[in-house]
Amino acid sequence: MNEVLVADGLRKSYGDVEALSGVSLSVAEGEVFGLIGPNGAGKTTLIRTLTGTTTPDGGSASVLDGHPTDVDRQRLGLLPQDFRPAGRLTARELVAYYAGLYDDARDPDDVLDDVGLADASETWYENLSGGQQRRACIALTLVNDPDVLFLDEPTTGIDPAGRRALWSLIDDLADRGTTVFLTSHSMEEVERLADRVGLLNEGRLVTVGRPAQLVSEHGGESRLVVRTDGDVDLESLALPASLSGEVTDDGIVVYGVGPRQISAAVDAFDDAGVVYESLVWKQPGLEEVYLSLTGEQFEGARPAAAAAIGGDR
Amino acid sequence: MSGLERVRSEFVASWHSFLRRRTAVFFTFFFPAIIVVIFGALVQTQPTGGGLFAEPKEYYIAGYLAVVVLFTPLSRVGSTIARHREGNRFEKLATTPLTRSEWLLAHSLVNVVIIGLAALLLLGLSILVTGASIPLSAATLALVPFIALGVTLFCGLGAIIGSVAGSQDGVIAASNAIALPLLFLSETFVTPDLLPAWFQPALNLSPLTFFARGVRALTYSGEAWALNLAVLALLAVAFFVAGTVAIPQTD
Repeated sequence: MNEVLVADGLRKSYGDVEALSGVSLSVAEGEVFGLIGPNGAGKTTLIRTLTGTTTPDGGSASVLDGHPTDVDRQRLGLLPQDFRPAGRLTARELVAYYAGLYDDARDPDDVLDDVGLADASETWYENLSGGQQRRACIALTLVNDPDVLFLDEPTTGIDPAGRRALWSLIDDLADRGTTVFLTSHSMEEVERLADRVGLLNEGRLVTVGRPAQLVSEHGGESRLVVRTDGDVDLESLALPASLSGEVTDDGIVVYGVGPRQISAAVDAFDDAGVVYESLVWKQPGLEEVYLSLTGEQFEGARPAAAAAIGGDR
Repeated sequence: MSGLERVRSEFVASWHSFLRRRTAVFFTFFFPAIIVVIFGALVQTQPTGGGLFAEPKEYYIAGYLAVVVLFTPLSRVGSTIARHREGNRFEKLATTPLTRSEWLLAHSLVNVVIIGLAALLLLGLSILVTGASIPLSAATLALVPFIALGVTLFCGLGAIIGSVAGSQDGVIAASNAIALPLLFLSETFVTPDLLPAWFQPALNLSPLTFFARGVRALTYSGEAWALNLAVLALLAVAFFVAGTVAIPQTD
């Protein structure tokens, strides 16, 4: 398949801060590529380098077989991070304004209809709800019917319903063959939308792969997170040999719990007389991949000095 | 689509944005009105009495016009750029066919229209409130290019300020720091003979001086104005180009 986005050893520094440290990746035509990583990892810098709005210190990038600054602007769409257009233009005026900047633009009313804003087209942008504002911003990126779409944290600040509406829209775009390069802090979003995912940390691309592949390689085991009322003595739990447990601040996490082992684990708690407030069974996902590879901690993560009992790990 | 179409689209969006900020509209037109009322009606000129306003009232029309041609583009374009930077709008625009020169041209044209209207208001008030009489001839039409070029020049300077200053507050502070000395050291309200002889050549360093001299020639003295218009045109091109280069792509 034709590669429409290629980064080869991209480097970029801001003073002493190295935002990109030799990033190489490629995105195929029609692919949805999700880029995840902590704040300051270099995600926005990578997008700016690929869209030609920032010049890299080293390495090279190509978009649609050309240098990012030479590519036909008609074929690119960008939603920058924290983008805020003019507040006192209506949604329709905003779309018409951006349509007026292109040689060949879609009908503004059609674009607003696509993003579900037809009924709010005459409302000033500043008077739209947060979700509507974000959808209006997406509309501005679609007005030229781009072949490659860059979305830098497109659903930040949107309520769950609005987020799912945008996901559906991005799905439709991908189905029509648009290449989408997406950054997000929502692992659910990236797992749901992306064909492949890249994890950027401190300017380095730590891993790239399909979500299921990354989860399989780096996500760890499924587990039972037990929030207990008070301290628990792990030695008193008679967990099956294939399971292991760790004490956390809020209770216990039991690792290696498959669907068929949940009841055995719960029985062990009951038999030991452990009073628990909640039991949550978790399968590994991109969030675990992210935390595992960035070294960040979260509730239920294995503490460095935690005690462990049960089977060998 | 031609560059003209892109400029038209940017112009229309900017024009609507301006008209819908009622406070901005009010003060844009209140500003020239209050200037004429204060200087023309309250302070008044005293041609034989000495002091700061010792020239005939027609002498100061160029100064009144200089105020709006200087202050309004500086603050408007500077603030617009600061708002664009805060909203990451330039990063978005950098991925469209709109060029930075087209963007600045569109915003300069919006300012030409706004300040043209403000200048008409100011001239009308000058005649009504102060009783000034302006000689009318075909040459009076040359006021239009003087105002258009002056506005374009200071839009370019406003773009530079907006690009250098980090916020709208910074733009306002920088605009005032630059505009106030320019206003009083450009043959607008203070005549050259009130300044030390050693300083008088420095008046030629202010771009506003050429605007004031040319407009005064058209509205008061009847002297030659073409050279001032030519110098103003050159400076307007230079500041427009510098402003275009200064406009950022990302923030």
